[in-house]
Amino acid sequence: MKKSRFPRSPKVILGLCIVGFFLLLTIFGPLLAPFSPDNTSFAPLLTPSAHHWFGTTSLGQDIFSQTLVGARATIVVALVAGLVATMLSMVVGISAGYIGGYTDDGLSLMSNVFLAIPGLPLLIVIDSYLPVNSRSNTLVIGLIISLTGWAWGARVIRAQTMSLRNRDFVEASRIIGEKRHRVMFFEVAPNLLPILASSLLFTLLYSIGAYVTLAYIGLTSTSVWNWGTMLFWAQNNNAPLSGEWYWFVPPGVCIALVGTGLALLNFGIDEFINPRLRAAGLSSKQRRKLGLPRRQRLGLTPVLRTKVTTPAPLATTKPVTT
Amino acid sequence: MRLIGRRLALYAVTAWVAISVNFLLPHLMPGNPIQTLIGKIQGQVTPQEIEAIRLSFGGGLDKPLLTQYFTYLGQLLHGNLGVSITLSQPVTTILKQSVPWTLGLIGISTVLSFIIGTVCGALLGWTRGSRLDSLIPTATFFQAIPYFFLATVMLLVFGSDLHLFPVLGAYSPSLHPGWTWSFAVSALRYAELPVVSIVLSSIAGWMLGMRNMMITVVAEDFVLMSVAMGLPKRKVIMAAARNAVLPSIANLSLAIGLVVSGALLVELVFNYPGVGDLLLNAVQNEDYPLIQGIFLVITLTVLAANLLADLVYLGLDPRTRTETAT
Amino acid sequence: MSTESIEVSGVVTSANETSDVSVVTTPHTDQRTDGPAMGQRILDVRNFSIDYGWGEGAVRAVNNVDLHLNRSTVLGIAGESGSGKSTLVYGFTRLLRSPGVIVGGEALFNLGPSEDGTDNIIDLVTASEKELRSVRWSNISVVLQSALSALNPVLRVGTQFEQVLKTHRRDMSKADRRARTVELLALVGLNEDRLRRYPHELSGGQRQRVMIALALALDPELVIMDEPTTALDVVTQREIISKLYELRSRFGFAMIFITHDLSLLVELADEIVVMYAGAMVERASAQALYDTPRHPYTLGLLNSFPPMHGVRTELTGIPGSPPDLTDLPTGCNFHPRCPYAMDRCLKESPRLEELGEDGRSVACWLHSGDEGVVVPVELRRTGRGKREPIPMPVKEDVS
Repeated sequence: MKKSRFPRSPKVILGLCIVGFFLLLTIFGPLLAPFSPDNTSFAPLLTPSAHHWFGTTSLGQDIFSQTLVGARATIVVALVAGLVATMLSMVVGISAGYIGGYTDDGLSLMSNVFLAIPGLPLLIVIDSYLPVNSRSNTLVIGLIISLTGWAWGARVIRAQTMSLRNRDFVEASRIIGEKRHRVMFFEVAPNLLPILASSLLFTLLYSIGAYVTLAYIGLTSTSVWNWGTMLFWAQNNNAPLSGEWYWFVPPGVCIALVGTGLALLNFGIDEFINPRLRAAGLSSKQRRKLGLPRRQRLGLTPVLRTKVTTPAPLATTKPVTT
Repeated sequence: MRLIGRRLALYAVTAWVAISVNFLLPHLMPGNPIQTLIGKIQGQVTPQEIEAIRLSFGGGLDKPLLTQYFTYLGQLLHGNLGVSITLSQPVTTILKQSVPWTLGLIGISTVLSFIIGTVCGALLGWTRGSRLDSLIPTATFFQAIPYFFLATVMLLVFGSDLHLFPVLGAYSPSLHPGWTWSFAVSALRYAELPVVSIVLSSIAGWMLGMRNMMITVVAEDFVLMSVAMGLPKRKVIMAAARNAVLPSIANLSLAIGLVVSGALLVELVFNYPGVGDLLLNAVQNEDYPLIQGIFLVITLTVLAANLLADLVYLGLDPRTRTETAT
Repeated sequence: MSTESIEVSGVVTSANETSDVSVVTTPHTDQRTDGPAMGQRILDVRNFSIDYGWGEGAVRAVNNVDLHLNRSTVLGIAGESGSGKSTLVYGFTRLLRSPGVIVGGEALFNLGPSEDGTDNIIDLVTASEKELRSVRWSNISVVLQSALSALNPVLRVGTQFEQVLKTHRRDMSKADRRARTVELLALVGLNEDRLRRYPHELSGGQRQRVMIALALALDPELVIMDEPTTALDVVTQREIISKLYELRSRFGFAMIFITHDLSLLVELADEIVVMYAGAMVERASAQALYDTPRHPYTLGLLNSFPPMHGVRTELTGIPGSPPDLTDLPTGCNFHPRCPYAMDRCLKESPRLEELGEDGRSVACWLHSGDEGVVVPVELRRTGRGKREPIPMPVKEDVS
């Protein structure tokens, strides 16, 4: 296995910080909220102030508390959906890629079908048929979301598995006689970790988006606070056209930040998988200091005449002509 | 040619699955939604309409499921998607008015986003390490913003504060739809904000994907060869880009699905009279015939677009053709 | 650059001046050239050094190498992977990719006499992008190792010729270009219908022929071949080599042929240089190198490749593996693998010195002429028989 290099790219570190922050918020959010999000006792539509950091809604609820509490449901559902979807795609992808033949044909057809059907409309249709009481069950919502989000990962994992299948170490374990499922999950899967991680991140991104969208349309129960529901209320009370930015900007920005954090992490994994993407050494400022041109230019190999500190072992032939 | 056949078969199967799911859902969901629906609308719609609705679900619930299924398919072929209970019109009529707006919006946005995104991505990949790279974190941030949020912000900025762009609707309320110049101009102006929100939210994906692919391609020998052949820089970049763009086109199919989802919501925010608006109202009013009709139309349109994208890809990548070396 | 020679470096103009290649030289004191300026000499690479990386982690990939090439002659560069042979050549043509950096030397290319009789010389190292572009392919062309990845996969073969011809020969009409392309393909024994094919539809041998045809499109003075036959099977290899031979006799371009297979060079090259760990260890005419090697590494290389013809000899290899450039041995780079290593070899690095004979140099303490050093028999032969190039029949269109 390769040596693991802890990524030092600033993008990745930033991503880790953001995601870490929101994970903490998921756990501690409701504890930190100064008021209950349902509490309507405050004056409506207050702009942000020391008392209400994010202002209040038209019903007089504290937006800051709503944001903090809302983090939990949003992220938990996204996590559930993301994990389930990734596991599904892992099982399908590895099986299809490794076993091949009719299994592959069948599984691939299934994933392609799920991939082609647009996710959101399908989600909306399924959700609208759900009995109202199950809409407040975050687990159910999470499961439905994962149903629509697993196909992409399955395809990617299948492709990677197929290329790994022919590698020597897999061949070796086959020859020794290891059972098929053991080979799949103990030899092939560990080498898929970077792709799996990337797939998980993508799926998480998708799941957050899907959940928030469903909530925004009003297809989830409004008794469970999440960022999407906040946006739903804001839109329904005409907040944008009335200039009440403080109502919908906090949840929206939070969603965007979580997404950005995940995407940055994804960058790091991308660079790990594909070494060509890693930053090619020095920044342009450092290069200029060394006397190199500002960036690499193809077909124009840079010339850097340095002082030769050690005597060149091979001198030119006589007569010396340079 | 075989490949096209395979893609066609795939889409045919997918279409069949979508149609069947559309049929099965109301029949399988707990709570017997069809029965409830018909019971609910007894007094509100004409008996012919009730019959049309019943047929669009597959005929009487007393018949076996398979029979209902075939009735349903037959109805589809006749264009009977049922009758909307909220708007009291056949679903097909309603859709005929809304679908063009959505198609226009999605079409323009996807094309613009793809072109601008891949061009920027190609340049970013080529001039790697230059100051342009600072665009990347910004693009990433925009990509993470849900489409409708960006739309909402724009609605706020331009709707309540700066009055630079028209905000609600698809055309000026004082005009009638028709093939007139003033209508066309008005339609374009009203489309600006929605298109911009969709483009801004989706462009980052194209940019980053293209950039990564460009970096990979530039490392290939043939790019060095074109430099060694003394070709001007423009030609070298084009040679690399033509190769780098292929995965993006392959991803176009996936992206169309996402853009559709996003566009639906943007329509919501801007009150754009397309399918998304319709869908939301249908959902909130449990107007199942309309919901199903919209789902079908959206899915089939997306599949058609996917097929188109696949054909384009097959045309651009000669390696997919199955001529063998002699 | 030292000032011992009275040659003023030819060349280059910065972007502020005119973009013509300026002409400058004055008579040379290097005894190897004949006539004024560079005369018959087409390429003069001097004191060339290349690093990978910069600052602390820089690795010397090519160390102070000289190369000289006369018109219409073939120079072979031999060595193992990592010896720096490709790096050197890509380096002086400025095609070396990052993180390669040229850290010293010059690469003078003779474009031929200009109107006033003096030679038009350009230093590739200091040339501007525009100058390089005008020289590339018209004067110097390259055949890369792996033709599949060297041809644009989405363009037809004919289009790739189109592009080159259109860029450099503005006055050619479309019909002219097409005619020229067909002509070039015929030169390498390929049928006209190959024009419409894509690279992935051709076999390895056909692709390599296309590359060669492309390389000759503008009648260059110098063609560089980077291991052109390494990826091919032996039979195709022979066909390509004999085709090259025929083309060279016909068109008279100079050739630099890089390979790790010394046996190929022996038949094709006029002069051979052997590289090891970024430095040159021997230089000699092909015949002399093959018959009378002087450097232990050369001997080892010769013994590693059975020639296609001639007496059967015992195959031995060279024990060990090429050194890690970041961790070179002390003294002579080759001593850990050298059967004749002496004490001195561990401490001092030998310099490339001329041997008395006729244009040969070697970097080995065995030949330093010191007292008490006994040169082994196999490294002091004086002639064993003439080498004969054996022409092969050439077929017209080969699959």
